[in-house]
Amino acid sequence: MKEILAKNVVLNVNQLDKFRTIKIQIDFLRPLSKDESTKRRLLANVLSNSSKKYPSFKSLNDREMELYGAEINAYTRSLLNFNDLGFSVEFADPKFLIGDKSQIQDNIEVLSEIIFNPNLKNTNEFDDTAFTIEKRNMMSNLDAVGDNKDLVSVLELFKLVNHNNPNKQIPIFGDATQLDSLENSALYEYYKDVIKNDMILINVVGDVDPTEISKLIRDSLLGQSLKSERTDIKIQLPNFDDLVKSPAEKLDHESINQSRLSIAYVTEKLDKGFSHLAPQAMNLIFGGDDQSQLFLQVRERNSLAYSVSSSYQATDHLLTVQSGLDAKDIDQAIDLIQKQIDFMKNGKFTDSQIEHAKKVLFTRREIGSDSIQHYIMRSIWETIYPKTLLDDKSFRAELNKLDRNNIQSVAEHMHRIAQYELIGD
Amino acid sequence: MAEKLQKFTKKLPNGFEIEMVPLKGYKQIYSVAMANFGSVNTKLADGSRLPAGIAHFIEHKLFAKPGYDVSEKFAEYGANSNAYTSYTKTAYLFQTLENPYDNLKILLDLFQHPHFTEENVASERGIINQEIQMYLDMPEWVLEQRILEQLYPGDPIAADIAGSTETLQQINAKNLLDTYRTNYRPDNMSLAIVGDVDFDKVVDIVEQSPFETDKGCPKTAENSFVEIGPGAEGKMNISQSRSAFGIRVDTNSRGYDLVKLQYILNMIMETLIGESSENYQDMTNKDIIDDSFSYNVVAENDYCFIIISGSTNKPEEFQDYLHKCLLDNKLKDVLTKDKFERIKRDAIGAYLFAQNSPDAIANQMAELYFYDVDYLQLVQLLDSISLDEVLNSADEVFQNDNFTYYNLLADGKD
Repeated sequence: MKEILAKNVVLNVNQLDKFRTIKIQIDFLRPLSKDESTKRRLLANVLSNSSKKYPSFKSLNDREMELYGAEINAYTRSLLNFNDLGFSVEFADPKFLIGDKSQIQDNIEVLSEIIFNPNLKNTNEFDDTAFTIEKRNMMSNLDAVGDNKDLVSVLELFKLVNHNNPNKQIPIFGDATQLDSLENSALYEYYKDVIKNDMILINVVGDVDPTEISKLIRDSLLGQSLKSERTDIKIQLPNFDDLVKSPAEKLDHESINQSRLSIAYVTEKLDKGFSHLAPQAMNLIFGGDDQSQLFLQVRERNSLAYSVSSSYQATDHLLTVQSGLDAKDIDQAIDLIQKQIDFMKNGKFTDSQIEHAKKVLFTRREIGSDSIQHYIMRSIWETIYPKTLLDDKSFRAELNKLDRNNIQSVAEHMHRIAQYELIGD
Repeated sequence: MAEKLQKFTKKLPNGFEIEMVPLKGYKQIYSVAMANFGSVNTKLADGSRLPAGIAHFIEHKLFAKPGYDVSEKFAEYGANSNAYTSYTKTAYLFQTLENPYDNLKILLDLFQHPHFTEENVASERGIINQEIQMYLDMPEWVLEQRILEQLYPGDPIAADIAGSTETLQQINAKNLLDTYRTNYRPDNMSLAIVGDVDFDKVVDIVEQSPFETDKGCPKTAENSFVEIGPGAEGKMNISQSRSAFGIRVDTNSRGYDLVKLQYILNMIMETLIGESSENYQDMTNKDIIDDSFSYNVVAENDYCFIIISGSTNKPEEFQDYLHKCLLDNKLKDVLTKDKFERIKRDAIGAYLFAQNSPDAIANQMAELYFYDVDYLQLVQLLDSISLDEVLNSADEVFQNDNFTYYNLLADGKD
């Protein structure tokens, strides 16, 4: 059931009885901006630290435990060209509890509290303790990023890929320099702007009566706070033409045990009538699972790496390869990766590889529907970018018509655009 | 109350346990076969030791069969497959939409028919060595090994689950097969399957696929632990220091009692240093911890310990604070009846959350079998815990002799 609470404020309820929990998620969307990513992440953390009614981290945690371990989450993530600031609460379905009739209402109340009834010091600032501690935590997390070499490698690759887009140069989880200078009053000002202007998607999944939950939400502080119209948001897709002509490359040295190799490729945009599933099938045969060319040739046959895989981002038409290996083997690995691309371009893959890829695409889609998050993400895409979604019937039709030529053609139109090497000395 | 989960169980005459839970509305079928054998099982009865990493090596190499790899067979029948090795268990699993019985036969083939050759062992060394190198760059992993070396000095649990570059060289086709035969016995394994399958058919398939190994006594030695280490520190090329405070719990509890003890210890830790505790708030306010702070209670076979860890700018204060607050043990003051009720509710919620996930149900069910605990009886187990039991356990655990520490200090110059 879909309901428009105000312009660009959408409530979607998906009634399903297969799960033992109920999840309510609220996503605030606006275009990614280099000046806002840090603020949004800190805002997520400060708001989920405490609220006016639960004025300390401890009291909020006590309340979550009381509600049978309700899980509150606050986060930011990239979604197309948007920064998605999200809050969710997932809790045990009261049907499985003895005598807890107000479980749904109580959880809506907690979620409303953290977003719309923040813990304030005065009319211009968040509570000092909440702000200071969350700022310190976030700084500490940003410091620790450098200790995760896989993440460093991915971030550096995407800096190269997005070199023309300043808004994507700052990671979604923020930047230490910006954080350092961020003041409490500035964050609160920003909060007011978010609450007033961001596009809002509310999703509920679980065994709930749609009419009943809609009324509970509309009557709650949450519903009462979302009556104003919101700004339209516009989808913008990236363009990598300059990198196709001149790929970006970077190499760093560090004192680490294992070197990392990351490569990005762009597949040209698809013509009308082309199979939407072809790039995903190509990725699967190339490096997407343990039957792929990369896994079998780089890892199993040549024992060069423990981890080597590729993944495909459909909205950006980007295929990336990640590998962890010995520094001395990097050149050989690059050569082997290129050989697998040539293998794909020359259509040397077998019919059984195509069948396997089709089977995996179908299986992943079906098994995905065994998770509560699947329904929330699907609903978000249906609202903001419906044309990329295939219903079950269209998906099967696309899968059936997918053939060797489609897959080979994707490989033929694939271009290396960036490469990052982190060499362990 | 809504519909509860149902479980079907059968123990075969050879001791192999089969458990199945149907899950309404789910499309997938998930199955895991588990051996009660992990990285710590390297001590032999004659006093000698197997090379560290041998359980993990077996896990990798059981996929190799004459002329094919088992993962190819799973893929052919529409399943994805995986495996993992922990300190005390090794598990093999598949997840599929279709052909559950064919995939079950493949799973049985996977762990029942080893094919170790010097050639395939040699090629695997390079892959596992890369896996070891990957973990050596992860400070949290390094810290865990170092604190385990303090908790159990010289014990196999302190070694990397995958072994080391040196021990990999000592692993060969012969010791792999000998170790496999000793530990992959039907009475030392269980099979859990979650999803819409016919249990009788599952049992029939397992019965038609006899083990080559025999039911019998394990040849590994009984564990005895030396005195706990005094604590230590070391440096690593990282941006942020990490600290771990360790508590060893030497207990005679086994099986059901050990699982119960694990729940009790979790309740104690949540009350004293969990996110809803005064101490957590105090340590945060004093900038001793950040939100990476956590504790982990492990109670598996002969091992029972707690590791409290996190990033910190103040490793000494981190250790001093925890040492003092746990030794003071103000549990009686803070674990009120209300708090105890909240903690129990939290645990019941966690149990329901896990029931959304076929893999969580299957893995937990397979493992709990080795502790004589019925997965569906976990709520009753939780209910049976009394406030007094929790308070008494804390008095026993929080003794100075049970404590140790490790600080992994940031050293950018290394």
